[in-house]
Amino acid sequence: MNSESLHQFSVATIVLLMLAFYGGTYLLTLSIRKKKEDADAFMVSNHRVGFGIGAASMTATWIWAASFYAAATSGYTYGVSGPIHYGLWGALMILFIYPFGRRFRKLAPNAHTLGELIHARHGASSQLILAFSNLLGSVISLMVNFTAAGALVSVLSPLSFQAGVIMAGVGVLLYTLWSGFRASVLTDFAQLVALMAIAVVIIPAVFFAMGGPDQLVAGLGNLTTEQADFFSSEAILKQGAPFFVAVLAYAIGNQTISQRLFAVNEEHIKPTFLTATVGYGAIVIGLGMIGLMAATLGVEPLNGDMNNLIPQMVSGYLPPVFIALFFVLVIGSLSSTADSDLSALSAIMMADVYGKNIARGRASPERMLFVGRLTMIAATAAGIIFASFSLDILVMLVFVGALWGAIVFPVIASCYWSRVTNRAFTSSVLVAMAVFCLARFELVSLHGVTGLLFELLACVGGGVIIGLMVFGFLGRTAGLVAGLLAVLAMVVFATGFLRDYTVLLASLTAYGTSTLVCVLVSLMSRQAPFDFNLIRQRVGDYDGHEPDAGKANSGAPSGASVS
Amino acid sequence: MNWLLGFYVLVWPALTLGVLVIICAAVLRDRRKAKAEKRDLV
Repeated sequence: MNSESLHQFSVATIVLLMLAFYGGTYLLTLSIRKKKEDADAFMVSNHRVGFGIGAASMTATWIWAASFYAAATSGYTYGVSGPIHYGLWGALMILFIYPFGRRFRKLAPNAHTLGELIHARHGASSQLILAFSNLLGSVISLMVNFTAAGALVSVLSPLSFQAGVIMAGVGVLLYTLWSGFRASVLTDFAQLVALMAIAVVIIPAVFFAMGGPDQLVAGLGNLTTEQADFFSSEAILKQGAPFFVAVLAYAIGNQTISQRLFAVNEEHIKPTFLTATVGYGAIVIGLGMIGLMAATLGVEPLNGDMNNLIPQMVSGYLPPVFIALFFVLVIGSLSSTADSDLSALSAIMMADVYGKNIARGRASPERMLFVGRLTMIAATAAGIIFASFSLDILVMLVFVGALWGAIVFPVIASCYWSRVTNRAFTSSVLVAMAVFCLARFELVSLHGVTGLLFELLACVGGGVIIGLMVFGFLGRTAGLVAGLLAVLAMVVFATGFLRDYTVLLASLTAYGTSTLVCVLVSLMSRQAPFDFNLIRQRVGDYDGHEPDAGKANSGAPSGASVS
Repeated sequence: MNWLLGFYVLVWPALTLGVLVIICAAVLRDRRKAKAEKRDLV
């Protein structure tokens, strides 16, 4: 195969492909466009999105450009089990959130963001922490997706990186700007169909073109013992475990998920999220197999860049039309995520910032729409600028990941336990972030007693993750038992060596600390237990629809928590 | 071994195809239902 260079398209071909993709998507959104859009529909459609569109949208949103590249890198680096350790945990992020999503929906059937629910439960400070983490996450995601577009265009054509970034940014903004979330979910369906159809063709095509099962088995000799082992501990510790830790954090911290939880027909939340779990896992693990194929063939990534692995394999074994299909696959995946990020950002600014903290219950739907669209334009501009500068986002990612980890327990506990207070929520997140920084940047020695203390906090964090996952599906008792068993197991097996894995230690410490502080401060509080029925009354629609059970106090201001 | 590894690689596109069929069928159902109730699909 030719691994020295990638197939090159002409400028005209790339421009035509982009025009066809974004032009087609734009035309599709014209079919749902209304002259006067509704502010609520702009954020969450009609709260009755069906199972098909919902599952397609959830799957397409969760698959971003990095999913393919990272899964292939994982297959190439960790061998046989690599694609599983990327795709499976990513898929479980969708699965494990849905039991909590049903609870969120039950508490606040007419919410648009998780922040609104937390505002109704606690007040502004807790809500703004959540909104801030959501904002950061979506801006980073936007930037990463535009960067992927720029990189793809620049490696497959004479066009510059910036040209690719701008084409993707403008294209996505164009079709999302007017109808917001409605445009996002509708185009997600079309994009997912294209994406899945291409994946179904490309994976077997590359597999058989490289020689099929015979060649794969023969190539296993090129792998190390760890790479050839399906139960490789290296793959588990370096790829699987950090992802496992992030399972709940990514789902809670991501407004694109909560937006769909609030948009899908309540009865369809479970099948929607189950289907999206299988869909995401199948596509991403499948494309990750191309990385494994490359490893068995002894392919070296072009210019040492792992992101070149899939295009290199497609370019090397298949005719140019498949490269064009791969191009559409990546542009489709990054666009579906980017339009969801734009919709998420606009909903946060419309509901969490303007609706709850500026208009304070007197929000004008027209002004909300203006805020939403302005946010989309500003976010696209920011995404294009940040992507063009090729900024190092690692530090931002580290903080956002920690922040998401720190809010998991306070958010979930606030929805089930009536004694959690605003002070408990806020202080637990702030303390957890401070402790996380101490561990992550090794501001204190991680040896001796201090190291052991951090490891014990991390053990609590591990127990919290397992406990919450079990609690979501099996209830409180099972969750408590599983959590305690996990803490015990970690104390026995993980103390003494966790300090050597700083990233994992710091992330788990954030979970453990926020849980301990949240529980302690809540138990010390003398406030009366919170009445969860108040949330339903405090979170309503903005556009004055016909009232139903969940709209008892439509658009009413969310006062301070009574807890 | 050949059969096993072949299955391991090809099961994912097969699953993808299955989910694609389920989603397309469900969207058609959603569309019919929305039409019957005289409301938008999204």
